[in-house]
Amino acid sequence: MESSYIIGSIIIAALATYATRIIPFLLFRTREPSPLIKYIELNMPLMIMVILVFYALKDVKWESYPYGLAEIIGVCVAIALHVKFKNALLSIFIATLTYMILIQNVF
Amino acid sequence: MNFLAIFKLTIPVMMGYIPLGMAFGLLLSKLLIPWYYAFFMSVFIFAGSGQFLALTLFASQATILEIGIATFLLNLRHTFYGLSMISTFKAFSWKKHYLIFGLTDETFALLKTSEVPEENRERAYLWITFLNQCYWIIGSVVGAVLGNIVPFNYKGIEFSLTALFVVLSIELYKKNRLHKPFFVALIIGLFGMILFPPQKMLILSLCAAAFVLIVFKRSMENGK
Repeated sequence: MESSYIIGSIIIAALATYATRIIPFLLFRTREPSPLIKYIELNMPLMIMVILVFYALKDVKWESYPYGLAEIIGVCVAIALHVKFKNALLSIFIATLTYMILIQNVF
Repeated sequence: MNFLAIFKLTIPVMMGYIPLGMAFGLLLSKLLIPWYYAFFMSVFIFAGSGQFLALTLFASQATILEIGIATFLLNLRHTFYGLSMISTFKAFSWKKHYLIFGLTDETFALLKTSEVPEENRERAYLWITFLNQCYWIIGSVVGAVLGNIVPFNYKGIEFSLTALFVVLSIELYKKNRLHKPFFVALIIGLFGMILFPPQKMLILSLCAAAFVLIVFKRSMENGK
């Protein structure tokens, strides 16, 4: 592969990525945020986070063995630990460890 | 917020970014691209799925224009993250451009849920973004240089990012005044995962969520 091709692609991909991230700041640069923008800012993050959970699970093959069981158990462990102990690191560590043990040794 | 507290906050992202970065570096080296391009890509692009996409397009000899358009469309979801950060970043100095540049899924998640007092928010945010990018760079360079040499079986460790999103969803649910958006997002996310094509799942689901949030504003704010 030619290096000019790779370098050109990296520059374009970098600009395209930065563009997606800066668009809202350019759009709302001058005006004070409207009540609608404030409402979106307050409530959209919760929706984004929930959707990111499903996004993280989008490549799971639910229709064939083990039917996403490792992922479901991992998510349940994270929810249960977090509701009970409210310690983010603990919930994430134990859930990840559970998941790793399941996919490496059980399924 | 001291450095140790900030570092602790980023540990789940480190657990996810290093192995994922290594997978990216490994794929890059398999395409016989020199390792330092892994470094440059992670420094200047810093978008996980975007970089994987670029490699796929390299392999199929796509034109530079195609790579630009595809990357833009894939990362369009980041626009929603910026939308939720406008007021917060407004008060910051020019350094906010690095924060905007580094607004990945995971960095956004950490910034939005970290409870930093207003006076040192900018500094804390910069550290979070910078540490996350370092993990990503380290992972991708190690993957590209070491290739297939894997020290231990870390298969499945990227689940830490899924667990991170789960935990932060709970945190935001508890903090949010309105609870209806949570249940709407649950339904949209579930259906989006089943019905939408994987590559377009996130942007389509986010658009649906924004649509419902705006159009049904009144009923969202009714009750709790």
